[in-house]
Amino acid sequence: MKQRALALIHGLRPSFRGGKRWLLLLLLTVALAPPSARAAGIGDILTLFKSITSTIQGAIGGALSGIQTLNSTINNFRQQIIWPLAQINQARAFVASTRSQYGGLMFQIQAIRNNSATLTNPTQLESVFRNGQSGSIGQFQPLYTNVYGNVPSSNDARPVQRNMVDMDDALAQGSLKTTVLSDQTTEGMLALADSIEQQSATAAPGSAPMLAIQAGISELESQAYLAKVLASELRQEAAKLAHQNSLLKQGAASTRNLQNQVQQVLTHP
Amino acid sequence: MKQRLLIRGWRFIRNAMALGLALVVVVLMLPSKARSQLGLDPCCAIISAGLSTISNLLNSVVAKPLGAIQQLEQQSANFEQQVVFPVTAINQARGMAGQFQGQFVQMRQIFQVPVASATLATPQQLEQSLLSRNPGTVPQITNNYAALYGTVMPSTDAPQPVRDLVDMTDAEAQAAMKKAVEIDALADLELQAAEQINQQLQTAAPGSASILEAQTSAWLVRANAYTQSAMAELVRVRSIELANTGAQVKFSAAHTSTLYNSGGLLLQGAH
Repeated sequence: MKQRALALIHGLRPSFRGGKRWLLLLLLTVALAPPSARAAGIGDILTLFKSITSTIQGAIGGALSGIQTLNSTINNFRQQIIWPLAQINQARAFVASTRSQYGGLMFQIQAIRNNSATLTNPTQLESVFRNGQSGSIGQFQPLYTNVYGNVPSSNDARPVQRNMVDMDDALAQGSLKTTVLSDQTTEGMLALADSIEQQSATAAPGSAPMLAIQAGISELESQAYLAKVLASELRQEAAKLAHQNSLLKQGAASTRNLQNQVQQVLTHP
Repeated sequence: MKQRLLIRGWRFIRNAMALGLALVVVVLMLPSKARSQLGLDPCCAIISAGLSTISNLLNSVVAKPLGAIQQLEQQSANFEQQVVFPVTAINQARGMAGQFQGQFVQMRQIFQVPVASATLATPQQLEQSLLSRNPGTVPQITNNYAALYGTVMPSTDAPQPVRDLVDMTDAEAQAAMKKAVEIDALADLELQAAEQINQQLQTAAPGSASILEAQTSAWLVRANAYTQSAMAELVRVRSIELANTGAQVKFSAAHTSTLYNSGGLLLQGAH
Protein backbone atom coordinates (compact mmCIF):
# COMPACT_ATOMS: atom_id res chain seq x y z
CA MET A 1 0.00 0.00 0.00
CA LYS A 2 2.76 2.29 0.90
CA GLN A 3 4.55 1.45 -2.31
CA ARG A 4 1.44 2.18 -4.33
CA ALA A 5 1.13 5.57 -2.73
CA LEU A 6 4.80 6.34 -3.47
CA ALA A 7 4.41 5.22 -7.05
CA LEU A 8 1.33 7.40 -7.42
CA ILE A 9 3.26 10.38 -6.12
CA HIS A 10 6.13 9.65 -8.55
CA GLY A 11 3.59 9.38 -11.32
CA LEU A 12 2.09 12.75 -10.46
CA ARG A 13 5.45 14.64 -10.73
CA PRO A 14 5.61 14.75 -14.54
CA SER A 15 1.98 15.77 -14.65
CA PHE A 16 2.81 18.71 -12.32
CA ARG A 17 5.58 19.74 -14.77
CA GLY A 18 3.05 19.58 -17.62
CA GLY A 19 0.62 21.64 -15.47
CA LYS A 20 3.18 24.41 -15.15
CA ARG A 21 3.33 24.65 -18.93
CA TRP A 22 -0.45 24.92 -19.08
CA LEU A 23 -0.41 27.53 -16.36
CA LEU A 24 2.16 29.60 -18.33
CA LEU A 25 -0.01 29.33 -21.46
CA LEU A 26 -3.02 30.42 -19.45
CA LEU A 27 -1.20 33.44 -18.06
CA LEU A 28 -0.01 34.51 -21.54
CA THR A 29 -3.53 34.21 -22.91
CA VAL A 30 -4.93 36.37 -20.14
CA ALA A 31 -2.17 38.93 -20.64
CA LEU A 32 -2.68 39.12 -24.43
CA ALA A 33 -6.45 39.26 -24.36
CA PRO A 34 -7.61 42.95 -25.15
CA PRO A 35 -9.63 44.03 -22.16
CA SER A 36 -11.24 47.09 -23.99
CA ALA A 37 -12.69 44.90 -26.65
CA ARG A 38 -14.41 43.02 -24.04
CA ALA A 39 -15.46 46.27 -22.34
CA ALA A 40 -16.94 47.95 -25.46
CA GLY A 41 -20.62 47.54 -25.62
CA ILE A 42 -23.47 48.65 -27.89
CA GLY A 43 -24.05 51.74 -25.78
CA ASP A 44 -20.48 52.86 -26.25
CA ILE A 45 -20.69 52.40 -30.03
CA LEU A 46 -23.87 54.45 -30.21
CA THR A 47 -22.26 57.20 -28.16
CA LEU A 48 -19.29 57.20 -30.52
CA PHE A 49 -21.52 57.49 -33.60
CA LYS A 50 -23.49 60.30 -32.01
CA SER A 51 -20.25 62.14 -31.25
CA ILE A 52 -18.98 61.76 -34.85
CA THR A 53 -22.24 62.87 -36.46
CA SER A 54 -22.58 65.85 -34.16
CA THR A 55 -18.99 66.88 -34.98
CA ILE A 56 -19.65 66.61 -38.72
CA GLN A 57 -22.91 68.50 -38.46
CA GLY A 58 -21.75 71.11 -35.97
CA ALA A 59 -18.07 71.94 -36.11
CA ILE A 60 -17.17 70.84 -39.67
CA GLY A 61 -20.48 71.60 -41.35
CA GLY A 62 -20.82 74.96 -39.61
CA ALA A 63 -17.29 76.01 -40.50
CA LEU A 64 -17.70 74.97 -44.13
CA SER A 65 -20.97 76.78 -44.37
CA GLY A 66 -19.32 79.88 -42.88
CA ILE A 67 -16.43 79.65 -45.38
CA GLN A 68 -18.90 79.29 -48.23
CA THR A 69 -20.82 82.36 -47.11
CA LEU A 70 -17.62 84.35 -46.62
CA ASN A 71 -16.27 83.37 -50.04
CA SER A 72 -19.52 84.33 -51.63
CA THR A 73 -19.51 87.70 -49.83
CA ILE A 74 -15.91 88.42 -50.82
CA ASN A 75 -16.63 87.45 -54.41
CA ASN A 76 -19.64 89.68 -54.57
CA PHE A 77 -17.73 92.52 -52.93
CA ARG A 78 -14.91 92.23 -55.49
CA GLN A 79 -17.19 91.95 -58.49
CA GLN A 80 -19.81 94.45 -57.45
CA ILE A 81 -17.99 97.01 -55.31
CA ILE A 82 -14.25 96.99 -56.06
CA TRP A 83 -14.04 95.93 -59.70
CA PRO A 84 -17.55 96.09 -61.15
CA LEU A 85 -17.19 95.28 -64.83
CA ALA A 86 -19.68 97.98 -65.80
CA GLN A 87 -17.64 100.68 -64.05
CA ILE A 88 -14.41 99.37 -65.56
CA ASN A 89 -15.88 99.55 -69.03
CA GLN A 90 -17.33 102.96 -68.26
CA ALA A 91 -13.90 104.25 -67.23
CA ARG A 92 -12.36 102.85 -70.43
CA ALA A 93 -15.08 104.52 -72.48
CA PHE A 94 -14.51 107.77 -70.57
CA VAL A 95 -10.80 107.70 -71.45
CA ALA A 96 -11.60 107.13 -75.10
CA SER A 97 -14.22 109.88 -75.04
CA THR A 98 -11.88 112.37 -73.34
CA ARG A 99 -9.19 111.59 -75.89
CA SER A 100 -11.50 112.30 -78.79
CA GLN A 101 -12.92 115.40 -77.07
CA TYR A 102 -9.67 117.14 -76.12
CA GLY A 103 -6.86 115.41 -78.01
CA GLY A 104 -7.55 117.04 -81.35
CA LEU A 105 -8.14 120.49 -79.88
CA MET A 106 -4.97 120.40 -77.83
CA PHE A 107 -2.96 119.19 -80.77
CA GLN A 108 -4.29 122.03 -82.91
CA ILE A 109 -3.42 124.63 -80.25
CA GLN A 110 0.05 123.19 -79.84
CA ALA A 111 0.55 123.19 -83.60
CA ILE A 112 -0.21 126.92 -83.98
CA ARG A 113 2.92 128.62 -85.29
CA ASN A 114 3.79 131.77 -83.37
CA ASN A 115 6.42 133.04 -85.82
CA SER A 116 5.98 136.82 -86.10
CA ALA A 117 9.11 138.31 -87.68
CA THR A 118 8.62 140.16 -90.96
CA LEU A 119 12.11 140.90 -92.31
CA THR A 120 14.37 138.31 -93.91
CA ASN A 121 17.10 137.93 -91.33
CA PRO A 122 14.83 137.85 -88.25
CA THR A 123 12.43 135.50 -90.06
CA GLN A 124 15.24 133.05 -90.76
CA LEU A 125 16.53 133.18 -87.21
CA GLU A 126 13.05 132.84 -85.78
CA SER A 127 12.24 129.87 -87.97
CA VAL A 128 15.30 128.06 -86.64
CA PHE A 129 14.69 128.65 -82.97
CA ARG A 130 10.98 127.84 -83.23
CA ASN A 131 11.17 124.70 -85.35
CA GLY A 132 11.96 122.33 -82.48
CA GLN A 133 14.53 120.45 -84.54
CA SER A 134 17.87 119.87 -82.87
CA GLY A 135 19.39 119.13 -86.27
CA SER A 136 19.06 122.76 -87.29
CA ILE A 137 21.16 124.08 -84.39
CA GLY A 138 24.22 124.09 -86.62
CA GLN A 139 22.62 126.86 -88.72
CA PHE A 140 22.05 129.00 -85.67
CA GLN A 141 25.33 130.92 -85.33
CA PRO A 142 25.35 132.67 -88.74
CA LEU A 143 21.65 133.50 -88.54
CA TYR A 144 22.13 135.01 -85.09
CA THR A 145 25.10 137.02 -86.32
CA ASN A 146 23.05 138.26 -89.27
CA VAL A 147 20.59 139.81 -86.86
CA TYR A 148 22.72 140.81 -83.86
CA GLY A 149 26.13 141.30 -85.46
CA ASN A 150 29.58 140.06 -84.50
CA VAL A 151 31.69 140.84 -81.47
CA PRO A 152 33.34 144.24 -82.11
CA SER A 153 36.90 144.02 -83.33
CA SER A 154 39.77 144.72 -80.96
CA ASN A 155 40.18 148.12 -82.62
CA ASP A 156 36.63 149.10 -81.84
CA ALA A 157 36.31 148.02 -78.21
CA ARG A 158 38.36 147.23 -75.17
CA PRO A 159 38.97 143.54 -74.31
CA VAL A 160 36.68 143.67 -71.30
CA GLN A 161 33.84 144.98 -73.41
CA ARG A 162 34.49 142.46 -76.18
CA ASN A 163 34.52 139.63 -73.66
CA MET A 164 31.26 140.77 -72.14
CA VAL A 165 29.57 141.11 -75.48
CA ASP A 166 30.79 137.66 -76.51
CA MET A 167 29.56 136.18 -73.24
CA ASP A 168 26.17 137.84 -73.60
CA ASP A 169 25.88 136.55 -77.14
CA ALA A 170 27.00 133.09 -76.10
CA LEU A 171 24.45 132.80 -73.30
CA ALA A 172 21.68 134.26 -75.43
CA GLN A 173 22.44 131.77 -78.18
CA GLY A 174 22.88 128.94 -75.69
CA SER A 175 19.47 129.66 -74.20
CA LEU A 176 17.82 129.90 -77.61
CA LYS A 177 19.38 126.58 -78.61
CA THR A 178 18.19 125.09 -75.34
CA THR A 179 14.65 126.17 -76.20
CA VAL A 180 14.95 124.31 -79.50
CA LEU A 181 16.01 121.14 -77.65
CA SER A 182 13.29 121.72 -75.09
CA ASP A 183 10.62 122.10 -77.78
CA GLN A 184 11.68 118.85 -79.39
CA THR A 185 11.62 117.08 -76.04
CA THR A 186 8.21 118.57 -75.34
CA GLU A 187 6.89 116.98 -78.52
CA GLY A 188 8.34 113.67 -77.38
CA MET A 189 6.72 114.04 -73.97
CA LEU A 190 3.34 114.84 -75.54
CA ALA A 191 3.65 111.71 -77.68
CA LEU A 192 4.40 109.65 -74.56
CA ALA A 193 1.42 111.14 -72.75
CA ASP A 194 -0.77 110.30 -75.72
CA SER A 195 0.49 106.68 -75.74
CA ILE A 196 -0.20 106.29 -72.03
CA GLU A 197 -3.71 107.66 -72.39
CA GLN A 198 -4.37 105.44 -75.40
CA GLN A 199 -3.11 102.42 -73.49
CA SER A 200 -5.23 103.27 -70.46
CA ALA A 201 -8.34 103.08 -72.62
CA THR A 202 -7.81 99.32 -72.90
CA ALA A 203 -6.11 98.72 -69.56
CA ALA A 204 -7.32 96.43 -66.79
CA PRO A 205 -7.42 97.35 -63.11
CA GLY A 206 -4.36 95.14 -62.63
CA SER A 207 -2.30 96.75 -65.41
CA ALA A 208 -3.39 100.35 -64.72
CA PRO A 209 -0.88 100.86 -61.86
CA MET A 210 1.90 99.95 -64.29
CA LEU A 211 0.66 102.66 -66.64
CA ALA A 212 0.53 105.06 -63.69
CA ILE A 213 4.20 104.30 -63.02
CA GLN A 214 4.96 104.86 -66.66
CA ALA A 215 3.29 108.24 -66.42
CA GLY A 216 5.25 108.97 -63.24
CA ILE A 217 8.54 108.08 -64.93
CA SER A 218 7.67 110.32 -67.87
CA GLU A 219 6.82 113.10 -65.44
CA LEU A 220 10.20 112.66 -63.79
CA GLU A 221 11.87 112.98 -67.20
CA SER A 222 9.79 116.06 -67.89
CA GLN A 223 10.82 117.57 -64.55
CA ALA A 224 14.46 116.95 -65.40
CA TYR A 225 14.12 118.78 -68.72
CA LEU A 226 12.26 121.59 -67.01
CA ALA A 227 15.19 121.85 -64.59
CA LYS A 228 17.57 122.09 -67.54
CA VAL A 229 15.54 124.93 -69.04
CA LEU A 230 15.52 126.63 -65.64
CA ALA A 231 19.29 126.21 -65.41
CA SER A 232 19.58 127.93 -68.76
CA GLU A 233 17.42 130.80 -67.55
CA LEU A 234 19.54 131.04 -64.40
CA ARG A 235 22.71 131.34 -66.47
CA GLN A 236 21.12 134.01 -68.59
CA GLU A 237 19.86 136.05 -65.65
CA ALA A 238 23.17 135.68 -63.84
CA ALA A 239 25.05 136.92 -66.90
CA LYS A 240 22.68 139.87 -67.18
CA LEU A 241 23.35 140.78 -63.55
CA ALA A 242 27.08 140.29 -63.98
CA HIS A 243 27.01 142.51 -67.05
CA GLN A 244 25.28 145.34 -65.20
CA ASN A 245 27.70 144.97 -62.33
CA SER A 246 30.65 144.99 -64.64
CA LEU A 247 29.45 148.26 -66.16
CA LEU A 248 29.44 149.72 -62.66
CA LYS A 249 33.01 148.55 -62.14
CA GLN A 250 34.03 149.99 -65.49
CA GLY A 251 32.28 153.25 -64.58
CA ALA A 252 34.27 153.46 -61.35
CA ALA A 253 37.48 152.79 -63.21
CA SER A 254 36.58 155.40 -65.85
CA THR A 255 35.81 157.95 -63.13
CA ARG A 256 39.17 157.26 -61.51
CA ASN A 257 40.90 157.70 -64.87
CA LEU A 258 39.00 160.91 -65.49
CA GLN A 259 39.98 162.21 -62.05
CA ASN A 260 43.62 161.38 -62.71
CA GLN A 261 43.52 163.06 -66.07
CA VAL A 262 41.79 166.18 -64.67
CA GLN A 263 44.38 166.35 -61.90
CA GLN A 264 47.15 166.02 -64.45
CA VAL A 265 45.63 168.82 -66.51
CA LEU A 266 45.22 171.03 -63.42
CA THR A 267 48.76 170.40 -62.15
CA HIS A 268 50.26 170.99 -65.62
CA PRO A 269 48.22 173.81 -67.13
CA MET B 1 1.42 -4.98 -15.31
CA LYS B 2 -1.93 -3.89 -14.09
CA GLN B 3 -0.35 -1.14 -12.11
CA ARG B 4 1.49 0.21 -15.18
CA LEU B 5 -1.65 0.22 -17.18
CA LEU B 6 -3.41 1.97 -14.34
CA ILE B 7 -0.71 4.66 -14.20
CA ARG B 8 -0.76 5.24 -17.96
CA GLY B 9 -4.51 5.46 -17.93
CA TRP B 10 -4.41 7.96 -15.11
CA ARG B 11 -1.83 10.05 -16.98
CA PHE B 12 -3.92 10.10 -20.13
CA ILE B 13 -7.08 11.11 -18.25
CA ARG B 14 -5.18 13.79 -16.32
CA ASN B 15 -3.59 15.35 -19.46
CA ALA B 16 -6.91 15.31 -21.28
CA MET B 17 -8.55 17.09 -18.36
CA ALA B 18 -5.79 19.72 -18.22
CA LEU B 19 -6.08 20.37 -21.96
CA GLY B 20 -9.83 20.68 -21.72
CA LEU B 21 -9.54 23.07 -18.82
CA ALA B 22 -7.03 25.20 -20.73
CA LEU B 23 -9.33 25.30 -23.78
CA VAL B 24 -12.26 26.42 -21.64
CA VAL B 25 -10.14 29.17 -20.10
CA VAL B 26 -8.89 30.36 -23.53
CA VAL B 27 -12.40 30.42 -24.96
CA LEU B 28 -13.62 32.35 -21.95
CA MET B 29 -10.76 34.80 -22.34
CA LEU B 30 -11.47 35.57 -26.02
CA PRO B 31 -13.04 39.03 -26.55
CA SER B 32 -16.71 39.16 -27.27
CA LYS B 33 -16.01 41.33 -30.45
CA ALA B 34 -14.27 38.36 -31.95
CA ARG B 35 -17.54 36.71 -32.01
CA SER B 36 -19.39 39.71 -33.49
CA GLN B 37 -17.00 39.94 -36.42
CA LEU B 38 -18.40 36.72 -37.68
CA GLY B 39 -21.66 38.67 -38.54
CA LEU B 40 -23.68 36.90 -36.05
CA ASP B 41 -23.80 39.79 -33.50
CA PRO B 42 -26.67 42.39 -33.35
CA CYS B 43 -24.01 45.14 -33.05
CA CYS B 44 -23.34 44.73 -36.75
CA ALA B 45 -26.63 46.33 -37.77
CA ILE B 46 -26.04 49.29 -35.47
CA ILE B 47 -22.53 49.84 -36.87
CA SER B 48 -23.84 49.58 -40.42
CA ALA B 49 -26.57 52.14 -39.72
CA GLY B 50 -24.07 54.45 -38.00
CA LEU B 51 -21.61 54.31 -40.87
CA SER B 52 -24.37 54.93 -43.36
CA THR B 53 -25.47 58.03 -41.41
CA ILE B 54 -21.88 59.32 -41.32
CA SER B 55 -21.53 58.76 -45.05
CA ASN B 56 -24.76 60.64 -45.77
CA LEU B 57 -23.67 63.46 -43.50
CA LEU B 58 -20.27 63.70 -45.22
CA ASN B 59 -22.05 63.96 -48.54
CA SER B 60 -24.56 66.57 -47.53
CA VAL B 61 -22.78 68.61 -44.86
CA VAL B 62 -19.15 68.41 -46.07
CA ALA B 63 -19.01 67.52 -49.76
CA LYS B 64 -21.73 69.87 -50.98
CA PRO B 65 -20.35 73.04 -49.31
CA LEU B 66 -16.86 72.05 -50.43
CA GLY B 67 -18.13 71.77 -53.99
CA ALA B 68 -19.79 75.17 -53.72
CA ILE B 69 -16.61 76.68 -52.28
CA GLN B 70 -14.60 75.18 -55.13
CA GLN B 71 -17.04 76.68 -57.63
CA LEU B 72 -16.79 80.10 -55.95
CA GLU B 73 -13.01 79.92 -55.91
CA GLN B 74 -12.98 79.00 -59.58
CA GLN B 75 -15.31 81.87 -60.41
CA SER B 76 -13.14 84.24 -58.38
CA ALA B 77 -9.97 83.00 -60.11
CA ASN B 78 -11.57 83.43 -63.53
CA PHE B 79 -12.69 86.94 -62.65
CA GLU B 80 -9.22 87.92 -61.47
CA GLN B 81 -7.52 86.36 -64.50
CA GLN B 82 -9.91 87.72 -67.10
CA VAL B 83 -11.07 91.05 -65.70
CA VAL B 84 -8.71 92.32 -63.01
CA PHE B 85 -5.30 90.99 -64.02
CA PRO B 86 -5.51 89.81 -67.63
CA VAL B 87 -2.05 88.70 -68.77
CA THR B 88 -2.52 90.41 -72.13
CA ALA B 89 -3.04 93.83 -70.55
CA ILE B 90 -0.10 93.30 -68.19
CA ASN B 91 2.16 92.32 -71.09
CA GLN B 92 0.98 95.32 -73.08
CA ALA B 93 1.93 97.63 -70.20
CA ARG B 94 5.36 95.97 -70.03
CA GLY B 95 5.75 96.29 -73.78
CA MET B 96 4.95 99.98 -73.61
CA ALA B 97 7.69 100.44 -71.01
CA GLY B 98 10.08 98.84 -73.50
CA GLN B 99 9.01 101.24 -76.24
CA PHE B 100 9.35 104.22 -73.89
CA GLN B 101 12.91 103.22 -73.03
CA GLY B 102 14.02 103.96 -76.58
CA GLN B 103 12.23 107.30 -76.59
CA PHE B 104 13.75 108.29 -73.25
CA VAL B 105 17.25 107.58 -74.57
CA GLN B 106 16.50 109.56 -77.72
CA MET B 107 15.30 112.59 -75.72
CA ARG B 108 18.33 112.43 -73.43
CA GLN B 109 20.59 112.45 -76.48
CA ILE B 110 18.75 115.48 -77.87
CA PHE B 111 19.56 117.44 -74.73
CA GLN B 112 23.22 116.47 -75.07
CA VAL B 113 23.55 118.44 -78.32
CA PRO B 114 26.25 121.09 -77.63
CA VAL B 115 24.93 124.63 -77.27
CA ALA B 116 28.24 126.40 -76.52
CA SER B 117 28.58 129.54 -78.64
CA ALA B 118 31.34 131.79 -77.22
CA THR B 119 34.10 132.75 -79.62
CA LEU B 120 36.73 134.50 -77.46
CA ALA B 121 39.05 132.69 -75.05
CA THR B 122 37.88 134.17 -71.74
CA PRO B 123 34.15 133.77 -72.40
CA GLN B 124 34.79 130.27 -73.73
CA GLN B 125 36.41 129.24 -70.44
CA LEU B 126 33.47 130.53 -68.40
CA GLU B 127 30.94 129.05 -70.79
CA GLN B 128 32.69 125.66 -70.68
CA SER B 129 32.34 125.59 -66.90
CA LEU B 130 28.72 126.74 -67.04
CA LEU B 131 27.65 124.10 -69.57
CA SER B 132 29.76 121.27 -68.13
CA ARG B 133 26.90 119.66 -66.13
CA ASN B 134 29.73 118.71 -63.77
CA PRO B 135 29.59 119.95 -60.14
CA GLY B 136 33.37 119.43 -59.99
CA THR B 137 33.84 122.53 -62.15
CA VAL B 138 31.94 124.80 -59.74
CA PRO B 139 35.12 126.09 -57.98
CA GLN B 140 36.53 127.19 -61.35
CA ILE B 141 33.59 129.50 -61.95
CA THR B 142 34.86 132.12 -59.47
CA ASN B 143 38.14 132.62 -61.35
CA ASN B 144 36.55 132.42 -64.80
CA TYR B 145 33.92 134.93 -63.73
CA ALA B 146 36.49 137.35 -62.33
CA ALA B 147 38.53 137.07 -65.53
CA LEU B 148 35.52 138.12 -67.58
CA TYR B 149 33.55 140.51 -65.39
CA GLY B 150 36.34 141.82 -63.14
CA THR B 151 36.55 141.99 -59.35
CA VAL B 152 35.26 144.53 -56.84
CA MET B 153 36.90 147.90 -57.44
CA PRO B 154 39.49 149.13 -54.87
CA SER B 155 38.33 151.45 -52.10
CA THR B 156 40.09 154.35 -53.81
CA ASP B 157 37.88 154.04 -56.86
CA ALA B 158 34.44 153.95 -55.28
CA PRO B 159 32.66 154.70 -52.01
CA GLN B 160 32.01 151.77 -49.67
CA PRO B 161 28.23 151.54 -50.42
CA VAL B 162 28.95 151.13 -54.11
CA ARG B 163 31.62 148.50 -53.43
CA ASP B 164 29.17 146.60 -51.19
CA LEU B 165 26.54 146.66 -53.90
CA VAL B 166 28.99 145.44 -56.52
CA ASP B 167 30.23 142.63 -54.31
CA MET B 168 26.70 141.53 -53.48
CA THR B 169 25.76 141.51 -57.14
CA ASP B 170 28.84 139.53 -58.14
CA ALA B 171 28.10 137.03 -55.37
CA GLU B 172 24.56 136.45 -56.57
CA ALA B 173 25.54 136.25 -60.23
CA GLN B 174 28.20 133.65 -59.44
CA ALA B 175 25.88 131.71 -57.16
CA ALA B 176 23.24 131.56 -59.87
CA MET B 177 25.80 130.31 -62.37
CA LYS B 178 26.97 127.64 -59.92
CA LYS B 179 23.40 126.67 -59.20
CA ALA B 180 22.78 126.26 -62.93
CA VAL B 181 25.64 123.74 -63.15
CA GLU B 182 24.29 121.84 -60.14
CA ILE B 183 20.75 121.79 -61.50
CA ASP B 184 22.02 120.45 -64.82
CA ALA B 185 23.90 117.67 -63.04
CA LEU B 186 20.88 116.80 -60.89
CA ALA B 187 18.66 116.72 -63.96
CA ASP B 188 21.06 114.23 -65.59
CA LEU B 189 20.83 112.01 -62.50
CA GLU B 190 17.03 112.24 -62.58
CA LEU B 191 17.05 111.13 -66.20
CA GLN B 192 19.30 108.18 -65.35
CA ALA B 193 17.03 107.17 -62.47
CA ALA B 194 13.94 107.47 -64.67
CA GLU B 195 15.48 105.14 -67.24
CA GLN B 196 16.45 102.63 -64.55
CA ILE B 197 12.96 102.62 -63.05
CA ASN B 198 11.55 102.18 -66.54
CA GLN B 199 13.82 99.17 -67.07
CA GLN B 200 12.50 97.65 -63.85
CA LEU B 201 8.95 98.29 -65.01
CA GLN B 202 9.55 96.14 -68.09
CA THR B 203 9.85 93.07 -65.87
CA ALA B 204 7.54 94.15 -63.04
CA ALA B 205 4.36 92.38 -61.95
CA PRO B 206 1.15 94.10 -60.86
CA GLY B 207 2.06 93.14 -57.29
CA SER B 208 5.52 94.69 -57.42
CA ALA B 209 4.46 97.70 -59.49
CA SER B 210 3.22 99.56 -56.45
CA ILE B 211 6.77 99.51 -55.04
CA LEU B 212 8.08 101.09 -58.22
CA GLU B 213 5.20 103.54 -58.09
CA ALA B 214 6.25 104.61 -54.61
CA GLN B 215 9.84 105.01 -55.78
CA THR B 216 8.77 107.06 -58.79
CA SER B 217 6.69 109.28 -56.55
CA ALA B 218 9.67 109.79 -54.25
CA TRP B 219 11.82 110.79 -57.23
CA LEU B 220 9.13 113.19 -58.38
CA VAL B 221 9.05 114.85 -54.98
CA ARG B 222 12.83 115.13 -55.16
CA ALA B 223 12.72 116.56 -58.67
CA ASN B 224 10.11 119.10 -57.63
CA ALA B 225 12.29 120.10 -54.69
CA TYR B 226 15.28 120.71 -57.00
CA THR B 227 13.12 122.70 -59.40
CA GLN B 228 11.89 124.75 -56.44
CA SER B 229 15.49 125.34 -55.42
CA ALA B 230 16.31 126.59 -58.94
CA MET B 231 13.26 128.84 -58.87
CA ALA B 232 14.42 130.28 -55.54
CA GLU B 233 17.81 131.08 -57.08
CA LEU B 234 16.10 132.76 -60.00
CA VAL B 235 14.04 134.85 -57.59
CA ARG B 236 17.23 135.86 -55.78
CA VAL B 237 18.89 136.97 -59.01
CA ARG B 238 15.90 139.09 -59.93
CA SER B 239 15.65 140.48 -56.39
CA ILE B 240 19.26 141.60 -56.49
CA GLU B 241 18.64 143.16 -59.88
CA LEU B 242 15.67 145.06 -58.47
CA ALA B 243 17.63 146.08 -55.39
CA ASN B 244 20.39 147.43 -57.65
CA THR B 245 17.90 149.54 -59.56
CA GLY B 246 16.64 150.98 -56.27
CA ALA B 247 20.19 151.59 -55.09
CA GLN B 248 20.97 153.52 -58.30
CA VAL B 249 18.07 155.86 -57.54
CA LYS B 250 19.29 156.30 -53.95
CA PHE B 251 22.83 157.05 -55.12
CA SER B 252 21.49 159.54 -57.65
CA ALA B 253 19.46 161.26 -54.95
CA ALA B 254 22.52 161.50 -52.71
CA HIS B 255 24.61 162.82 -55.58
CA THR B 256 21.97 165.42 -56.42
CA SER B 257 21.89 166.54 -52.79
CA THR B 258 25.67 166.79 -52.69
CA LEU B 259 25.70 168.71 -55.95
CA TYR B 260 22.99 171.04 -54.67
CA ASN B 261 24.93 171.78 -51.47
CA SER B 262 28.19 172.27 -53.35
CA GLY B 263 26.47 174.59 -55.81
CA GLY B 264 25.00 176.59 -52.92
CA LEU B 265 28.37 176.93 -51.25
CA LEU B 266 29.95 177.98 -54.52
CA LEU B 267 27.31 180.63 -55.12
CA GLN B 268 27.64 181.98 -51.54
CA GLY B 269 31.42 182.24 -52.00
CA ALA B 270 30.99 184.18 -55.25
CA HIS B 271 28.77 186.74 -53.55
